[in-house]
Amino acid sequence: MKRSHGLITAVVATAAAGLLAACSGSTAPKPQVAADGAGFGTLPAQSGTPKPGGVVRVAESPGAGPNYIFPVTPAANGSVYNSYQFQNLMFRPLYGNAIGVDPKIDLAQSLAALPTYSDGNKTVTIKLNDTYTWSDGKKVDAADVVFFIDVLKAAVKENAANFGNYTPGYFPDSVASVSTPDSQTVVLKLTKAFNPEFFLQNQLSLITPMPSTVWNVASTGGAHLDFTQPKNAKAIYDYLAKQAGQVATYATNPLWQTVDGPWRLTAYNANTSGLTMKPNEKYTGPQKAQIAELQEVAFTSESAQFSQLRSGQLEVGAVPFTDLAQAPTLQQKGYAVYGYPSFGFNYVVFNFHDSTGHFDKIIAQSYVRQALAHLQDEPGLIKGVFRTAAVPSYGPVPAVPKTEFTPADASTNPYPYSIDAASKLLSSHGWKVVPGGQTTCTSPGTGANQCGAGIPAGTPLTWNIYYGNQPAVIEQQVTALISAAKQVGITIDSSSKTFNYLIQNFSVPSAPSNNDKWAMMDFGGFSVSNYPTTNQIFNTTGSYNEGGYSNAQADKLIQASVFGSDRNAVATEASFLSKDVPAIFQPNVDSVYAWSGKLSGPPGSFSALSQYRLNPEYWYFKQ
Amino acid sequence: MVLLGISVLVFVLLHAISSSPGRAVLGVQASAASVAAFNHAHGYDRPLPLQYLSYLGSLLHGDLGYSYKLNQPVTALLGENAGRSAFLSAVSLVLSVVIAVPLGILQAVKRNTVIDNSLTGLAFVLYSIPAFFLGLVLIEFFSLRLNLLPSEASQATTVLGVVADPVSMILPVVTLTAVSVAAFSRYMRSSALDNLAQDYIRVARAKGLTERQVLSRHLLRNSCLPIITLVGLSLPALLAGNLIVETVFNFPGLGLLFFNSLQKEDYPVLMAYSLIVGVLTVLGNLVADVALAFTDPRIRLH
Repeated sequence: MKRSHGLITAVVATAAAGLLAACSGSTAPKPQVAADGAGFGTLPAQSGTPKPGGVVRVAESPGAGPNYIFPVTPAANGSVYNSYQFQNLMFRPLYGNAIGVDPKIDLAQSLAALPTYSDGNKTVTIKLNDTYTWSDGKKVDAADVVFFIDVLKAAVKENAANFGNYTPGYFPDSVASVSTPDSQTVVLKLTKAFNPEFFLQNQLSLITPMPSTVWNVASTGGAHLDFTQPKNAKAIYDYLAKQAGQVATYATNPLWQTVDGPWRLTAYNANTSGLTMKPNEKYTGPQKAQIAELQEVAFTSESAQFSQLRSGQLEVGAVPFTDLAQAPTLQQKGYAVYGYPSFGFNYVVFNFHDSTGHFDKIIAQSYVRQALAHLQDEPGLIKGVFRTAAVPSYGPVPAVPKTEFTPADASTNPYPYSIDAASKLLSSHGWKVVPGGQTTCTSPGTGANQCGAGIPAGTPLTWNIYYGNQPAVIEQQVTALISAAKQVGITIDSSSKTFNYLIQNFSVPSAPSNNDKWAMMDFGGFSVSNYPTTNQIFNTTGSYNEGGYSNAQADKLIQASVFGSDRNAVATEASFLSKDVPAIFQPNVDSVYAWSGKLSGPPGSFSALSQYRLNPEYWYFKQ
Repeated sequence: MVLLGISVLVFVLLHAISSSPGRAVLGVQASAASVAAFNHAHGYDRPLPLQYLSYLGSLLHGDLGYSYKLNQPVTALLGENAGRSAFLSAVSLVLSVVIAVPLGILQAVKRNTVIDNSLTGLAFVLYSIPAFFLGLVLIEFFSLRLNLLPSEASQATTVLGVVADPVSMILPVVTLTAVSVAAFSRYMRSSALDNLAQDYIRVARAKGLTERQVLSRHLLRNSCLPIITLVGLSLPALLAGNLIVETVFNFPGLGLLFFNSLQKEDYPVLMAYSLIVGVLTVLGNLVADVALAFTDPRIRLH
């Protein structure tokens, strides 16, 4: 989930921005735009001669410090901060992402070769590299993969909420049986065929091999159990989950010291989630840590974090959106500043089941949705609301960060901002458009130039929208949309709510009794997986298809993305959805970070911060 | 009975806000099965009265519950944060009283003089400045520009650790104290003015006592009564933390814990916090009543 800021944080941050701007004594400098137009600032090239040692202090996201160490992470604790910035530093995923902004698997960062598929994509064979070892010297092998799967199965059988990425019918339910022909090979027999790319990028990427000869216990100092027995797997899960619940012991519990990643935990503050890691001297992966210590520093607010960054007490930290004008000041102090959009999309949800004022019938008309899309002024929003620190996005797969699954037309807006175009679409379909007034249906019926099925004569284009009260950019975008809509006689009443209120009360799948209470909603958006299918988001039976969008063609394409054999099916799916307008897609904001100029490394190891990924083993202090 | 009433009220209000805690805790991408399993595992699918009785039963056994979001028992969370929050608030409260009491008396004695008007103006300025703004201003000048003081409070995890790092606590304490001094001194001035017009002050002067004796032996004690009430009412804030200062100065405490839990709808933490604030409010009133009775024998007689 993207964007969840607190009211106090925002108030403080806004005040800080105003205060700092006032104190600067001059007009706030304009933010810079990267040469490719897709990022913020500039990404420095690797430079200098590495000087071994040193301590790097990295700011944790305020209020979102890592607090769960066990890779079978419950949904309540599932976050990019727990996985990318904590667990993965110690426990490597089977398939790791590339270092940089590109959302793709990189075999150099993975513990296995690409899987091979057979038996009509119902059998998956995974060959593990023989280069990775645990810190106790044992090789990372097939049993460690099976151990994860067996423990995970026990976890979700006990409670579906015990694993954050669990959806019934998918991994690990989809694994009918597991075998290990040799110590480095795992063969999965699936319950049904999956799209090979989906299964690799979205399912196998969930696997984190675990030390099967160390963690296979059900009590401290207890006997090592055969985890392939479901009863034992459950006992092991219960024990490990209980250990993971004792956060104060994270740095001292010997369990968590058996690692295969480049880092090991040496200190953890249960009160703040601040932590310290030191290099795993036994690490056998592609890049050993060069610095002597990594400190992840906890903060109570963006404002407090930014003050520490400005005072030079941090080597790496985020630049809050409200403080982007301070980027040149940071650069003058020797920081590099760079930002890039994270992989995902923001959108305004349509409620296709709201019968109030015949909204369900109105929004079912594709020309109405297209007209509304024409009212979304993305260039204007990027310039006015996001102060150029954002990129346009016209569908569920944004043009940037670019992946092999990005549709060819991702950077082309199918419905560019045009009040005239919106007005013409309405007037050519039986609506009397009254700019600034109230547009009504004057030609009911199902003909090509009529309003559409179920829309009586005199029906006004008026409905409501609920939006998240944080961050402030949501309100600004909604206000712009309402203003544009009024220019074609569409009246939209707006109300703000908390994020939690929105997702609990305005969701067709999970709160159907409220279907007639809302027409549009803007809660933010989604981060998406490497293989960015909108399965569950836009398919008819999707568990978080918030607006209840239903389109047979979309269902067919999503089905192909998940269960078909075309590895690039998801691009077709995304292209179709961006044209069918199941929602109004919004710009993607840059996540901007600053890091000390004394620090260097491959540029990707810094730009990856924008994707919430931490690769400090690649960093070094310059001599 | 008051505490029981508080627990019922808080329980009902929190549950009225959230129709599905599971969805709030697990997030928008949680499957329906996960949400249902979570709600079932934590009893949120049971009738409200049963949930409350279950909560009350745990409470009577000293079990405040477990924070799913923070992955810790609530008692541990409160324990980790209470001491540091209390220290910060207590120091600022003591300083506020120590500064405000003589200041208020001085203003009363020197009423309508330049000193009184200047201090009144300053008090109004400090009282009207939001604490977060004052904190940011102090950070900007004393930390970032003059580089005299750290921009964040002590990061020590124990009270002793915080005590051992006094320099880092200067700005947070000043921020909290400034606002309190402004309020307390106004009450003190008003009370002292009332008492200065009383007969017993005139009698004391007529007895030949020095002005210092009149002020310290007679005026001070009687004028402090409203301050005692205010301090008693400050007890909940003393231990419940100060959200703004904790946020600005990176000093995690109970106030911030409550705010973050509210955003995440972390019920066990919210329930425990609300209950503690309720207990402290009752306790604060009791302490204030006892202190008033001790200070003013007339109250005991009544």
